[in-house]
Amino acid sequence: MLASRWTRLILVLLVVLALQTTLFKELRPFGVAGQVMLLFVICAGIQFGVSIGAIVGLIAGLMFDFVVSTPAGLGSIALGITGATAGLYLRFFPNPIWWLRLVSIGFVSIIGEIYILIAQAMIGLGVVLEFRLIKIIAVVTVINVCLTPGFLLITRWTLSERKKDR
Amino acid sequence: MASKNTTRRRAIILLTLTSIMLVTLDLQDSPKVAGLRSLFGTLFYPVEGVARVITRPVGNAWYGVTNYNKLLDENSLLRQQVAQQEGATVAAAASVRLSQELLALNGLPTLAGINAVTAQVIGESPTSFSQKIEINQGTDSGIRVGMPVLNAAGLIGRITKVFANRSFVMLITDPDFSISVKVVSTGRKTTESTVRGITSVTTSTAVPLEPISNTPDAETTTTTTTTIPIAGFTAVVTTLPSTPQGLTSITVPLPSDLDVRETGVIQGNGPTRQPTVRFIDNSLRFGSIEAGVPIVTAGGSRSLAPPDVLIGVVSRVVERVGSAGPLLEIEIAAELTNLSFVRILLYQPITEKKSP
Repeated sequence: MLASRWTRLILVLLVVLALQTTLFKELRPFGVAGQVMLLFVICAGIQFGVSIGAIVGLIAGLMFDFVVSTPAGLGSIALGITGATAGLYLRFFPNPIWWLRLVSIGFVSIIGEIYILIAQAMIGLGVVLEFRLIKIIAVVTVINVCLTPGFLLITRWTLSERKKDR
Repeated sequence: MASKNTTRRRAIILLTLTSIMLVTLDLQDSPKVAGLRSLFGTLFYPVEGVARVITRPVGNAWYGVTNYNKLLDENSLLRQQVAQQEGATVAAAASVRLSQELLALNGLPTLAGINAVTAQVIGESPTSFSQKIEINQGTDSGIRVGMPVLNAAGLIGRITKVFANRSFVMLITDPDFSISVKVVSTGRKTTESTVRGITSVTTSTAVPLEPISNTPDAETTTTTTTTIPIAGFTAVVTTLPSTPQGLTSITVPLPSDLDVRETGVIQGNGPTRQPTVRFIDNSLRFGSIEAGVPIVTAGGSRSLAPPDVLIGVVSRVVERVGSAGPLLEIEIAAELTNLSFVRILLYQPITEKKSP
């Protein structure tokens, strides 16, 4: 059963979501919570392309939406678009250098946070534009870049095709 | 390969449509989405529990590293504050009791008559954008959406989502939070008049604090007034001994000397900016508002909170031109960054109550 990468994805996402709602909710450097669900989606997109990135983003977002109080489906759309955006990286850099990959993950993290804000604003949720937003985006980006090596391995293991998948 | 791409494309379209449908349904408070959330919560809860147990040492280590010095400083500061506040608390408690007895005597609603549920805060919002907390009580304890949430200092927010045994509380700092409030102006000069022949229904014990003024009345009674300034409030404790004829007297202010109240709407502005009160009338009757004036809930048949729940005090008044009235920045009485236990008032306005 674990041979199917989609089954693995759901199980791994449950664990990542649990980490998001426990550990990363508590560890708040500069008062900002790290967004490991976002990082997982970006890593999936950056390694497996647009379509896989989008699917992983939509599923991860949907799961995340069910545990937060924002409208269900909103995070799904935002993370789906983020995953697809991350997947575009493979089109521009088919054989990436390691540091370029880190830079790209940082860049997509910034875009992903902006997508979430735009999505919230589009349905009328109050978004206050203030200096703190820049701090949130900056801290989330730094945390994501720091955690990237581990999450690249996890996403690779989760989404790699085994014999049964083919 | 082509068939795989088609399958993926279909999956993306299906998931996107599902998300859009969920957003639409959830914005209309669909019970189906709430059911889905509840189902997912039930399935996810054990996984989260295991993760919480495993990651707790890491979280504790993090707090130890980042907050130890702050905690020590805060502890010593709090000890000083507790010592200072002990005296004031006695006077405040006496005033509150007196006020509630007077309200009850006049058939007016008081907070003491509203049932409440105590809950523990079990989590903050996992995102950095929303100002919400999660508590460990839900519909099983009688909690409903909209009920006001307080801590020992005052109002902290209201319930926005309820499950069987947990709820989400939107904090007062959330940009989507708003509630009608009263601004109590206490800047007027007060004059006391003594009315004879009224039987007193309550007596209070004088609190041993430094008296500011003593106003004895040799003819009828002896009245001792002690005035203690507490964050914009003036606690007045009056001792009313009986006269030899069995008559007592009470001190009542003249109608023109009563505190003037104006209503407005408080709105959150995020965690780093203070909430603001708008729609205050720019009337001469009210006079000018000064910093330190208390803000309490307005109550009323449509308000989600009962009247006179303390929210905070005015920290700054921003005058605006025209008829817009001043904008008041509010310093919230409750400390929202360190919530452990909260009290949910099981209060619903008459307009929200379902008829049996």
